Amino acid sequence: MNQCYGCSTCKSADKPLEQFIAGLPMETSHHRVDSQSTKCAFGLQGVCCRLCANGPCRVTPESPRGICGANADTIVTRNLLRAVASGSGCYIHVVENTALNVKNTARTKGEIKGVNTLNRLASIFGIEEEDIHRRAEAVADAVLKDLYLPEYEKMALTEKMAYKPRYDRWKELGILPGGAKSEVFHGVVKCSTNLNSDPVNMLLDCLKLGISTGIYGLVLTNLLNDVVLGEPEIRLAPVGLRVIDPDYINIMITGHQHSMFTFLQNRLTDEDVKVKAREAGAKGFKLVGCTCVGQDLQLRGAHYTEIFDGHAGNNYTSEAILATGGIDAVISEFNCTLPGIEPICDQLKIKQICIDNVAKKANAQLKEFDFQNRPAVTDQIIEEIVEAYKARRGSVPMNLMKNHGNDNTLTGISEISLKKFLGGSWQPLIDLIVAGNIKGVAGVVGCSNLTAGGHDVLTVDLVKELIARDIIVLTAGCSSGGIENCGLMTPEAAQYAGPKLRAVCEKLGIPPVLNFGPCLAIGRLEIVATELAEALNVDLPQLPLVLSAAQWLEEQALADGCYGLALGLPLHLGLPPFITGSKTAVQVLTEDMKTLTGGQVIINSDAKESADILERIILEKRQGLNI
Amino acid sequence: MKRIIVEYEKCDGCKNCSAACMQAHRETPGTIYDLDLTDPKNESRNFILKDSGGHYRPVFCRHCDEPECVKSCMSGALCKDPESGHVFYDETRCGSCFMCVMNCPFGVLKPDTVTQSKVIKCDFCVNAGGEPSCVASCPKKAIHVEEV
Amino acid sequence: MKYVIIGAGVAGIEAAKTIRQNDPAGEILMISADTYVHSRCMLHKYISGERDEEGLDFTEKDFFQRYQVEWKKGVRARKISPDAKEIDLDSGDRVSYDKLLIAAGADSFIPPVGELRKASNVYGLRNLPDAQAIVREARQAEQVLVIGSGLVGLDAAYGLLERGKKLTIVEMADRILPMQLDARAAKAYQERFEKAGVRFVLERKASQAVREADGKIHKVILDNGEEIPCDLIIVAAGVRSALACLEGSGIAAERGITVDASMKTSAPDIYAAGDITALSGIWPNAADQGRVAGKNMCGINASYTDTYAVKNTINFFGLVTLCVGRIREEEGDQVRIREDRRQYKRIILRDGKVEGILFQGNIAGGGIWQYLIKNKIDISKINKDVFDITYGDFYHVGQRGTYQWVPE
Repeated sequence: MNQCYGCSTCKSADKPLEQFIAGLPMETSHHRVDSQSTKCAFGLQGVCCRLCANGPCRVTPESPRGICGANADTIVTRNLLRAVASGSGCYIHVVENTALNVKNTARTKGEIKGVNTLNRLASIFGIEEEDIHRRAEAVADAVLKDLYLPEYEKMALTEKMAYKPRYDRWKELGILPGGAKSEVFHGVVKCSTNLNSDPVNMLLDCLKLGISTGIYGLVLTNLLNDVVLGEPEIRLAPVGLRVIDPDYINIMITGHQHSMFTFLQNRLTDEDVKVKAREAGAKGFKLVGCTCVGQDLQLRGAHYTEIFDGHAGNNYTSEAILATGGIDAVISEFNCTLPGIEPICDQLKIKQICIDNVAKKANAQLKEFDFQNRPAVTDQIIEEIVEAYKARRGSVPMNLMKNHGNDNTLTGISEISLKKFLGGSWQPLIDLIVAGNIKGVAGVVGCSNLTAGGHDVLTVDLVKELIARDIIVLTAGCSSGGIENCGLMTPEAAQYAGPKLRAVCEKLGIPPVLNFGPCLAIGRLEIVATELAEALNVDLPQLPLVLSAAQWLEEQALADGCYGLALGLPLHLGLPPFITGSKTAVQVLTEDMKTLTGGQVIINSDAKESADILERIILEKRQGLNI
Repeated sequence: MKRIIVEYEKCDGCKNCSAACMQAHRETPGTIYDLDLTDPKNESRNFILKDSGGHYRPVFCRHCDEPECVKSCMSGALCKDPESGHVFYDETRCGSCFMCVMNCPFGVLKPDTVTQSKVIKCDFCVNAGGEPSCVASCPKKAIHVEEV
Repeated sequence: MKYVIIGAGVAGIEAAKTIRQNDPAGEILMISADTYVHSRCMLHKYISGERDEEGLDFTEKDFFQRYQVEWKKGVRARKISPDAKEIDLDSGDRVSYDKLLIAAGADSFIPPVGELRKASNVYGLRNLPDAQAIVREARQAEQVLVIGSGLVGLDAAYGLLERGKKLTIVEMADRILPMQLDARAAKAYQERFEKAGVRFVLERKASQAVREADGKIHKVILDNGEEIPCDLIIVAAGVRSALACLEGSGIAAERGITVDASMKTSAPDIYAAGDITALSGIWPNAADQGRVAGKNMCGINASYTDTYAVKNTINFFGLVTLCVGRIREEEGDQVRIREDRRQYKRIILRDGKVEGILFQGNIAGGGIWQYLIKNKIDISKINKDVFDITYGDFYHVGQRGTYQWVPE
């Protein structure tokens, strides 16, 4: 017998990581997949209803309706709307905080790192302010004003941000969103007990929530972050567990709200703070990236070379990152911070600090982000972390994995940096697509889960299948974390691409998979798509462009997905979002959506089959464009 | 022979075994995700009964040592397989008399809902290699297969 | 050891199987008038054309080879000599035995009304030869009269409907299936048969039937004087044990051969099982008797204890009925009814016990009621509506995962 906690861990696309986790002496999510492998069939199909005291009601041939009379269509779409409303709420929370941080930074005359983005937003919004800080404040205010509108007043920036043919279609369908927060409210009211029973009506609400989520929660969050955190710049960076340098006091960050870390990031490189680290026996402080906020930091890493060690891994790598023993503290502010890290933090004496009440972890100390008092709160946090470092180092065993990951993952890609890389225009990319050197574009986005074949298994397999078919892959979200650790974002990965795409990659010195960063950057992919459509003078559904949230995990992903559908894009999911119990929901999402928005949901958990389907769609779209 | 052993104290009444049974015996190909849970053609061979105290009492075919269903079968459709000891049902031979339903002392058997012409009977998932789907689906491990 | 079994019905077949399981070396000889082993419960499927002769076989494939049973078919036992331990066959052969099982079944009873017994177009429906003759006769027949609306009469009618015949059914009682059903449940079947074209004449019996020149009866006159024209008559008025072969043997018999609990007759080494005993007319019991007799013939003590026979299932037009126990209501009964568009269920309760059930339309899981009725289980302590009682209320798991009604 050995010290392993259990030998039945799930598969991972990242084989060294799989081995590392299997050998750990503590339990991780990877260990629990097996014991949770028996899934409730009613839950899987979305036909379990717990909305009232008569429940839970489940649909069976002998009981095709719940006690109230709700049938499978009603139960499924109510559950889906509930999930989409929650997911939207999460992203709207993120954009609200981000906008507030921009506003507060502007009011306190803080640093505006992304002047170009600020000017771009001001121009789109029609804001003419000479003073840069007033301009930034006005931009933030415009976003906040929309977020706080009632449901019956349409948000003003939707039309300004959206591609016109899309906006017109949404207007026709009656799915232009009112105030984004109110839409969440409206959604949860709608799907409460014995209110709405109309599946199509509820599905249209999902699309509406998708629009507010996409334009505000995704697109604008990125751009507002650019304003205060700096714009992405293309570079090569190290990824994986190798980034952890035990000579430093290491802080793993998790969540989605990068702007909350601005002050801390800067403070940790101040000389008086570095002295504290040195006094404790470390060379200084380092932030270790994990989940989407880590991706966001990696994306803007050019601005933070001193403090940022690199991105170590995605949500389901977080336990392994902690298990190396090299992490002294976790600062979390939002989701994808697994509850499962708590016992590991306890065991390895890792300090957990939470800076946003909505994501308070059970054994974390809550140090709520407070813009006004940020110097004092930040210093308290630093004190706590230094104390944790002193208390644990020496007594906690190190289990580092210095060979994990790679040193040359291409990062820093955004709609701006990529266009700049191409010479300031999308034309070279369009030419490559028209010539067939690049067959099409696939956005492989969203989360990582452990059930679609294992950790990142479907995602990575699908990416390999797609690039082998000369389809270039753009990524955003935790999918990026898995794909980059598997080496597919290094220039050398060109060898896995089909001959045409490989030649393109080798000529440009880029990998066949381009990482846009956090899931928020799905918004950036969609800006790219929109600009390509504009350049070709077509609508989005006509582009040879597909989306896959192969290993979607949670409610936010469903809200993202609804944005993709509202944009009219084909959306592949590896696992069904608990809808298959409803024939109507399946019909609307997989078929009727084509005539509603041009989009469609494709559900398939086999990488090759999925790639075949997505390739076929791309070929059809190419045919439609006569290319 | 192998028998599904029921540890009824562990049953939570989730009916996953029933859904797994329906999936295992559906006519159309597909996964548990697209099993039509409203189609009466999809019938479970197992049942989660309750006693008057509300306790779950899962009923699975015992493939009895002396099966009353086989003893009462007038067509030869029901046979106890001498090798596996399991009671198998040949729909093509069945005369739809349902004396087996009448004689099963535990009420496990029933006529099919849609046509009332065949018997809904556990086949120990013989087509899936004799690994009962219900057992694989139980989150509480309230049922398991044992050599008896 | 030489075992001889007269009859190839379920009692004989089950006995042969049981003997072979317990005596691998013994010689087994089966003698039957039947030339096909067939399930008498499926003759209507032969009449309808749904199945052929082989399709009625209820035994395992290669039964006679598998169990090493020699089968003399198409012969009848003419005389049994218990002292000599010999049987004379109508083929002229004589066979000897060490142990004998008489399972020759029963024959249709044709009542002595008019010339029913003499006419060439009047049949019972008991054996495959009956069914074969009916099918043959039906080729020329347009109008069929069925006398008696019990299970056999309705089986015959059901089969002939499939052949497009015009049917009239005469029944003495005020409803069809009077032995099995109450008026409401009977009505459900009557309506279905009527919808299919059958005419019922209830509370009437045949009083006159005269052969015409062709030797056939072409009209039957009822007790109210009504004339029913017909080309073919099926009489379903019950059966009589086939006791002819006992003549001169000295084996005790009344309505059927007299047997004890081990299925032994009054003569040494001679056993009887199945309809010939007149103990019950239903399949599972005949099978059980055959197995009990088989064991005892091998020297293994066994008793026929599960004698409960007041039970039936009925299935016509996809409407299934299960009836167990007493149907007729008596004073002091508590009769409970549950009825909706898909089912009619009626339970007779007395002194906290179930005395009879009649379930129509939904018999799912109905097997428990036989146990409750025949074992006179007190259900008054179960805090549930009687219709909601299931095996879950008696649930016990015993050794080797068996279910039990009473804990071990």
